[in-house]
Parts: sequence; structure tokens; C-alpha cells
Amino acid sequence: MQSTTMNAIEVSHLRRTFSSQIGVIKRTAKEVVAVDDVSFRIEEGELFGLLGPNGAGKTTTVKMLTTLLIPTGGSASVKGFDVVAWADEVRKRIGFIFGGERGLYWRLSGIDNLRYFASLYGIDPDVTKKRIPFLLDMVGLNGRGDEKVQGYSRGMKQRLHVARTLLHEPDVLFLDEPTLGLDPVGAREFRQVILNLQSEKKTILLTTHYMFEADALCDRIAIINHGSIIAIDTPGGLKTHVRDLNVVEVETFGIPDGIVEKLRALPFADSLSVEDQGQKQMLLIQTSRGAEAVPDVMSALEGLKVGRVIVREPTLEDAYVRLVGGKA
Amino acid sequence: MKTLTNNLRLFWQGALLSYVALFHWMRPIQYMASKILMPLAQMFFFVYLGTFATSADNRTFYIVGNALQIAAVSGIYGMTMSIGGDRDNGTLGYIFGTPANRLVVFMGRAFMNIMDGALGVVIAFTWGVVLMGLDLSNTSIPALALTILITTISTCGLGLLMGCLALITVNVMFVNNFVYFMLLIFSGANIPIAQLPAWIQAISYVLPLTRGIAAARLLVGGAGLLEVTPLLLGELAVGFVYFLVGYILFTVFEVVAKRRGTLDVF
Ligand SMILES: Nc1ncnc2c1ncn2[C@@H]1O[C@H](COP(=O)(O)OP(=O)(O)OP(=O)(O)O)[C@@H](O)[C@H]1O
Ligand SMILES: [Mg+2]
Repeated sequence: MQSTTMNAIEVSHLRRTFSSQIGVIKRTAKEVVAVDDVSFRIEEGELFGLLGPNGAGKTTTVKMLTTLLIPTGGSASVKGFDVVAWADEVRKRIGFIFGGERGLYWRLSGIDNLRYFASLYGIDPDVTKKRIPFLLDMVGLNGRGDEKVQGYSRGMKQRLHVARTLLHEPDVLFLDEPTLGLDPVGAREFRQVILNLQSEKKTILLTTHYMFEADALCDRIAIINHGSIIAIDTPGGLKTHVRDLNVVEVETFGIPDGIVEKLRALPFADSLSVEDQGQKQMLLIQTSRGAEAVPDVMSALEGLKVGRVIVREPTLEDAYVRLVGGKA
Repeated sequence: MKTLTNNLRLFWQGALLSYVALFHWMRPIQYMASKILMPLAQMFFFVYLGTFATSADNRTFYIVGNALQIAAVSGIYGMTMSIGGDRDNGTLGYIFGTPANRLVVFMGRAFMNIMDGALGVVIAFTWGVVLMGLDLSNTSIPALALTILITTISTCGLGLLMGCLALITVNVMFVNNFVYFMLLIFSGANIPIAQLPAWIQAISYVLPLTRGIAAARLLVGGAGLLEVTPLLLGELAVGFVYFLVGYILFTVFEVVAKRRGTLDVF
């Protein structure tokens, strides 16, 4: 049964629990539900974002899809192969990165790392010989491949991970927070690499905490919270959840206790979040009243030193904040 | 056919790269120094202690025993680092995410340590001849070489098992030291096994090295290959069992880690 557009990834009622022991003397087992009844489909060539707060279950989902974790319940398939029953077939077709610096042999050069992984994937040496320089160039590591990985910066290690995961030309890529800890320019270059991969018709599942990144890259986004998917839509579609809302941004310098609660209690404040920016804080208040809400907000903030005040259209981040509950 | 060549390549690449990557004392100078001086130190210590405690007539007994015992350095410590090192590097998850044949990955890690261990034993024998007056004029050198190789292989079998334990427990170096010293005593390198209590003898014969050391002593005493063949076969069998148990432990570890979600804890 082949549909016209085959789904590269199908996830159906996926569930994963962990049991952890608490206490040293009197041990009791506690069950954590990390992923709870998650279902979604990703089409061939789609760039799909998985967003959610810390501990929402993103990495756990990715691990199950990359055959590194056995689901407790439900099923998932990649390119038509079940991730449990056909793990090796899945592995041949996927590449994955878990953000961060680990997972490389630090005593080896970048090239030797790639060589070893090429042999783990059973790639022909002639192919490897051409592919390694090509990939190093693609991720911007040309000229540095002979150096030992221990001397690489964090960003360079992450780039090497990208090269590693593209060695066997996988059709499907799982990128778990690939831009974590990169400087702004590095992150931007990284996003360009992701877009290039997408233009090569690769299917990509991306997790990130950067909303503008998801907005700029993803065809569709799933938002996951407490192990369950609470919304799946295009970035534009998600924003319509907050279309009725405008955002009032207020710059403040030091907020005393209680103010946040006071603002939350305002009847027109739909949700509220505070971004700490060092000296100053940014209060984000979503409200359907738009500019009319400003005087009320200001009176609630009376006595505080206030900087810029802006009323703007909602962004993906606003949609996200509203969907996951505005407790950010 | 393609699978076979792929696996051979994986074996070689794995052997070379994982050795460089995971063997901690692999800076060339340091490596050479430890390779040449470590056996000398151990030989001096035990040979002089042994002959001092018993009699100078027993010199050959201690030289041969301790020379073969050198195999345990690569066999136990080297193997543990080669396999357990993947935990420190966080590479285990990425390896388990490839379709590579686990047995080949595993054997690749063992190969270089076997070579390295055998080299260590040869160096130790050389010290024995040059500095301590070991007489090999009666000895069949090819038979002795074979004995060294087989003994190193079986010792690496035990090391492979230790390496798998390193994936599971955090502090395997403690266990390694324990095993190393256990081999020093129970393998008969420094104490004639016949003088040990029966229950220790039982342990001696399930350890690698024991039969290899006995065979080497016979060979140095002038015996032929045929006379030591049963000992060598026994040594190989012991090594094989450890390899097998180690490999099974490795595959079980992979499955359990994926079930429990403990892959990156290790
Ligand atoms: N190996 C494990 N053992 C026990 N609990 C785990 C394990 N892995 C994840 N969890 C738990 O499962 C839940 C989901 O974790 P997960 O790593 O999937 O979150 P995440 O969405 O990736 O979060 P983050 O944004 O912080 O990376 C958390 O409560 C976490 O504590
Ligand atoms: Mg995560």
C-alpha cells in the first residue's frame, strides 16, 4: 500500500516511560512518563520542528526514532521500516546529532573520526576518500581536518558531527538542538547548512529552543509538552492561535516581588512572560486589547523604572508561550 | 562478498583508530618508554625477589613467568581502555546507531592489544636473555613464539570481559588492578602452582596465562611443541570462553541499555 507521497516518518501512539529509584536506604521505584501517546507523520522532504520546554520529551522521541531507545508502547517507522523490528534498515537510512560536543574521539583528527564512522557504515574507501573533503568543505572545516578534535572549538565539533552524520548520505536526519551553544554567526551558518540539506530533499526532524530558528526553517512544527503533542501546524498556522492577540513589550529595570502576579491578575492579560536581560527585564504581555492595554499595564507598574514600551504583532514565540502555558 | 570486505575494513579501521583514540598512553615517546621499561621493572622486581627468597637456581622460573605475565598489561588495561573508552567519549550511542556488525567492532578493538601484548612479552624475554642470563639455546623459538601469541590472545579475552564491565560500572580500574595482581599470584608466574592450596589451584586453571606460562617453562627447559600442545589448547579454550562471555555481555549490554534508557548514563 503505497500512497502518492510516502511518509518518511510515521509515529503512532508512541509512549516511553522511565522508572527511576528514589532514596538510598528505602528504595522506591517512581515512574516518569517521558513520551505519552505521541502521533505524527512527516512527509518525504519535509523539515519538521519539534518544540517544547525542557523535559517535554523531545530527545526521548528522537532517541526512539533513531533506534537508541525501545518504546514502551506504540510504534514508529522511518522510511517504512519499524524502528524496533527493522532497526538496522532504519540505521542505514538515518543520520542523527544530539547537540553538544561529545560523541567524537578527541584523540583522533577530524578526518580519522570520519574515516572510522565511514567504516562503521560500510562505505567504500574510494567513496570515503572523495566524500570526506567534500563534507569538511561543506561544514566549513576545510583545512582543519588533520587536527585533533580535542583542539576544536565547540562549534567545530558540532560541524564535525554534521559531516559525520552525512557520510552515508542518509535520507532522513534527526537534529536534536544542533545549534546549541553556537555563536550567532556560527548558528546562522549552521541554519544555512540545514536549509541546503533540505534543498537536497532530505527529510529533517529538528528540535530547538530558538523560536525564530524554527520559524525560519520549519515547514511544520509540533509542540510537545509533558510528553504529549499539543499542536501541530505550519509556523503561520500556529501564529493564528494568537492572531487575536497583540503583544505589549515593556522594558523594566528591576522588578520587585509580586509585580508579576499582579500583572497576571489583570483581566485582559492573556499570558505573561519575563525575559531577564541582565540589567533590564522584558515583560511580554499578550492581550487582545492591543494598545489600549498599555495605560492599565503602566499603572500596574507604577513606581518602577520603565524603558521602552512597544505593541507588536504576535510571533511564533508568542504562540508557543500561549500554547505551553505562559509560565516561561 | 561485499559484506566480507566491508567487515574486514571495519575491523582494520577499528583496530587502528580505536587503538590510537582510546589507548591513553599512546604518545610515541611515552609509549616506547612504557613498552621497554615497564617489563624491565617488573622482571627485576620479581626475579630478584624470587631468587632471593628461594634460590638462584630458580632464576629461569621467575624470568619466564614474569615475561609472559607482561601480556596482562595490554591484555587487561589496554583492552579495558579500548572498550570502556567509548563510554568516556560518549561515542557508544553513535556506534549503536550504525548498522555495523558488533562482533567485528569488538574484535577490531581486541586485535591491536593482542599485537601490543605479544610485543611486550617479546621485549620482556629479550631483557631476560640480555640482562638476566636466560638461556634459550635449548628452546624451540617458533614454539615459544606460538605460546606467546596464544597466551596473549587468551589474556585479551579476559580483558575484553573487563572492558565490557567498564561499560557497566564506573570504577573498573579498581577491578582491573585486582585482576592484574590476581594473575600475578594465581597464574603461577611467581609461585609454583603445585604449592598453592587446592581451591586456589582451581582458580588458577580458569584464568588465562596459567597454562601458557607452564608451556613456556617446559619449552625453555627443552621440551618440544608436541609436549606442550595440550597446554596450549587449554589456554586457547580458556581465552575463547572469556571472549565469548565478553561478547555476550556486550550484546546484552546494548539491549538492556536501549530498554532501560541507560545508554548515555554510561
Ligand atoms: N534515561 C533516562 N532515565 C530516566 N529518565 C529520563 C531519561 N531520559 C529522559 N528522562 C526523563 O524523561 C523526560 C523527558 O526528557 P527529554 O530528554 O526527552 O526532554 P527534552 O524535551 O529533550 O528536554 P530538553 O529540552 O531539556 O532537552 C524528563 O522528565 C527526563 O527526566
Ligand atoms: Mg533534549
